[in-house]
Amino acid sequence: MCDQTFVAVTFGPCDSCSKASPLMNIYIKNEPINYCSFCVEMMACQGLQKGETLASLKRECDNLKKKLEEERGKLNDVELHQVAEKTEVLGALSVKTRRVLKGHGNKVLCMDWCKDRRRLVSSSQDGKVIVWDAFTLNKEHGITLPCTWVMACAYAPSGCAVACGGLDNKCSVVPLSLDKTENLAAKKKSVAMHTNYVSGCTFTNSDMQLLTCSGDGTCALWDVESGQLLQSFHGHTADVLSLDLAPSETGNTFVSGGCDKKANVWDMRSGQNIQSFESHESDINCVKYYPSGDAFASASDDATCRFYDLRADREVAVYQKDSIIFGASTVDFSLSGRLLFAGYNDYTINAWDVLKGTRVSVLFGHENRISRVRVSPDGTALCSASWDNTLRIWA
Amino acid sequence: MMSSKAHSSNNIAHARRTVQQLRIEASIERIKVSKASADLMNYCSEHARNDPLLMGIPASDNPFKDKKPCTIL
Repeated sequence: MCDQTFVAVTFGPCDSCSKASPLMNIYIKNEPINYCSFCVEMMACQGLQKGETLASLKRECDNLKKKLEEERGKLNDVELHQVAEKTEVLGALSVKTRRVLKGHGNKVLCMDWCKDRRRLVSSSQDGKVIVWDAFTLNKEHGITLPCTWVMACAYAPSGCAVACGGLDNKCSVVPLSLDKTENLAAKKKSVAMHTNYVSGCTFTNSDMQLLTCSGDGTCALWDVESGQLLQSFHGHTADVLSLDLAPSETGNTFVSGGCDKKANVWDMRSGQNIQSFESHESDINCVKYYPSGDAFASASDDATCRFYDLRADREVAVYQKDSIIFGASTVDFSLSGRLLFAGYNDYTINAWDVLKGTRVSVLFGHENRISRVRVSPDGTALCSASWDNTLRIWA
Repeated sequence: MMSSKAHSSNNIAHARRTVQQLRIEASIERIKVSKASADLMNYCSEHARNDPLLMGIPASDNPFKDKKPCTIL
């Protein structure tokens, strides 16, 4: 059809705002322009409709916010814990430390399980990424990154690669070689580029796409092979600290949370922010979907974890205790969604009864803040990563 | 003169964007909390018996649990 070659500029100064960012290559009246994704969105909002003024728009804003509150309030006919009163009370969990993974030289900031339920990847403040066999404690791979504070790491669905990123403002994919002598860092490929630190990353349902969130306030979807920005997600007004993909049966959405105290749900295809929740009193450090995909939980510096139902469009539970005064950094559900494991800055992990809102158990053992908790893919174990340089497996 | 015009059109674009966003959020279909809660409870009870951390599974089925008591060093 066309025999011209186009150079797709994927990162550089935006033609509109001149900020260096990932660029969308679009055509206006056959002229190619390179705008950052935010300017593309803003362009669609230019110009007044008949009769609109700044004041009338602000009024409509306030009215819509009030309407939103009313609509949500109308459906709040009962509390979740009240409905759950007829459910049996859970006994204390017989969960203990079964493995301690030592090897990182500094704070462990992130970890992710492989789908094979035995391998996991972890990343640390000293720039090291380690792939472990959690059964044998064997370190299978070690990757040294040139940056410190590798805040995000993820295992690819195939188990053949890992993604990692942090203070280098990038997220890179490293293929895992069967050859143990190979220098994996040499094969590292930069995929995502943000204008501030990368705080979280996850592969989508295949090794081909990567979803990232950043201190630059955006989330973004990338094609791993070409490094192309496929979609970007604007709406947070401060650093985004965490994201989680909806379980595959529920379709193409994900949830993000950040320093603006908001948790936003996004449509991956359109980039649209479809729902927004603002009830935390401080930064949201972590968001995680409930296994059915109809709800999600969040962990915050306000020392609470909260539970939001997406179809009721509201917060339905708060997990808190007067004795818990330190921030919660991470949450994950057990396989059935009945238990919520939450890691805190007071070095403990609390297991909450999701339905009744009560605490079931406290897991002690780590000697510094918990940075991440993740239940294994078959639900048999919980892995926790900590600033005490270790990871623990609980079962 | 020019810069204040650009600034005010930027404000308008921001305001329009916020209004559009709120319109989308206000228009979604919602269900009652009683119904949402019942569904959450159903999901939990349907999957409870397959939840190892909840039910506790014997050491023989859990690769992380040693068959004999272990000492934590």
